[in-house]
Amino acid sequence: MQNESAIDPKIFEEILKFSKNVIDAPKLVSAPDEISLEVTKHDVVQEMDKTRLLHYAPLTDKQHKTPLLISYALINRYHILDIHPEKSWVRNLLQQGFDVYMLDWGTPTSMDKYLDFDDYVNGYLDAYVEYIKNESSVEKISLQGYCTGATIATAYITLHPENVKNYIATAPVIDGWRDTTVISNLAKHMDVDKMVDVIGNMPPEFMYYCFSVLKPFEQGIEKYVNFFKNIENKKFVDSFLRVEKWLSDTPPIPGELFKQWIKDIYQDNLLIQNKMYVGNQLIDLKKITMPIFTQVAVGDHLVSPECSMPLHYAVGSEDKTLRMYPTGHVGMIASSLSQKKVLPELGKWLLKRS
Amino acid sequence: MHLMASKPQALNSIGPMRAFASNSKKVSTELIEINEVLMGFNQYYTEYYKQLSDTWTDAQKKVNLKAPEVPHDVEQIDAFKRIWIDIFDNDFTELFDSEKFGENYGKLVSKELELTKHWNNITNVILQSVNLPSKEEIDEVYKEIHTLKKRVGKLELELKKKEMKKNAK
Repeated sequence: MQNESAIDPKIFEEILKFSKNVIDAPKLVSAPDEISLEVTKHDVVQEMDKTRLLHYAPLTDKQHKTPLLISYALINRYHILDIHPEKSWVRNLLQQGFDVYMLDWGTPTSMDKYLDFDDYVNGYLDAYVEYIKNESSVEKISLQGYCTGATIATAYITLHPENVKNYIATAPVIDGWRDTTVISNLAKHMDVDKMVDVIGNMPPEFMYYCFSVLKPFEQGIEKYVNFFKNIENKKFVDSFLRVEKWLSDTPPIPGELFKQWIKDIYQDNLLIQNKMYVGNQLIDLKKITMPIFTQVAVGDHLVSPECSMPLHYAVGSEDKTLRMYPTGHVGMIASSLSQKKVLPELGKWLLKRS
Repeated sequence: MHLMASKPQALNSIGPMRAFASNSKKVSTELIEINEVLMGFNQYYTEYYKQLSDTWTDAQKKVNLKAPEVPHDVEQIDAFKRIWIDIFDNDFTELFDSEKFGENYGKLVSKELELTKHWNNITNVILQSVNLPSKEEIDEVYKEIHTLKKRVGKLELELKKKEMKKNAK
């Protein structure tokens, strides 16, 4: 009897309110196809196979001379760098006067299963860099790589250093053996030859599985409880749905590229040892001699800091900067911290060299 | 003699059915092999759920030790939820990071791929019985297209370089 009377009636109020929010959710929330992730105005200036080169419209009267190309990751899509006007990486750089291009890797189909590192590095990325150089009448451009996009950018720079003036490596995947994430553990035990032989491209469903085991209870329960609790907060709901839509949009990864990725980066760790080959050419990190700015998130549970930081020490550049931020993988590029701290620091560094 | 004997049997089935009949042995072999792979798959599948279940039980014990009393108000419920999520996230991340999980999961996926491979083989038999290209044949076409594209790309680049040299003169 004593126990019953000790229960706070607010608990029941909370449960009733939460239940009401769950019931009301369909009326208050937009369907995923009603949400557009295209935030900042841009043109598609080049296309190759399924990849596209986007050029963002300037937001300042004058722009810095050296254009910046962003090589986005192969997992999910580039929209996270322009997810919301207030949290947009791209918009912030445009407001700082940079001329920004974005590489959209597109959605590979079964037909693309033989695309490999060579196609991405010496094919697509090289062609787009050449295009930008011609369009902007410059000899060199600035290149930013994010996550797996930084691995491709790193390989590119070692093979074509003459085209790149500045390099920004944001959470780059470099040293697979030092990576302490769950993804690295799964990758190390994967029979990737059999996987590519049987299913071709790396399917999005498998990527979902890999992501779902990262902080499973925080991401699988707490996140949605918060969502229903804040269902009447339009700003929160809008931001939540945008990120959810982005998370659910994972294209497959071409089989051959994925195979080399898992073997060379996670299983044999060739990149950091300067033993990796792309299109029969050795990737030697010492050949990176231009100014380099490495950004690492301390709480990154997708690419651990230990996996990214070795790049800073392995390159041949004398002008090199390493910055660590108290946030996570996505927080570093799409949060209020990225707007207040990460981007201003990057802009200042890049401006001096552009 | 046996070759002669098969002639009258083959005569009464023509077209796709004839091809399918001649490949039925391959399908049976694949089905037998599927059963063998399934045994291995079940072994790793059981181990996978055992690991999850053991981790869950251990995590729940830790939660019970840390928060032995039933929460009575909203703040206590929130605190309890936080403890529960933190302990479960930590324990499951530790499991997913472990050698034993990675190894078993790798073998589980490998067995699943073997099952898919056998299923693909059966599908190929059926496809070929109706005169359609098999997965391997389609793959060959994809590979050929990829090689050709690469070659054309290189030739285009060389041509471009030559043109640039010519224009420079």
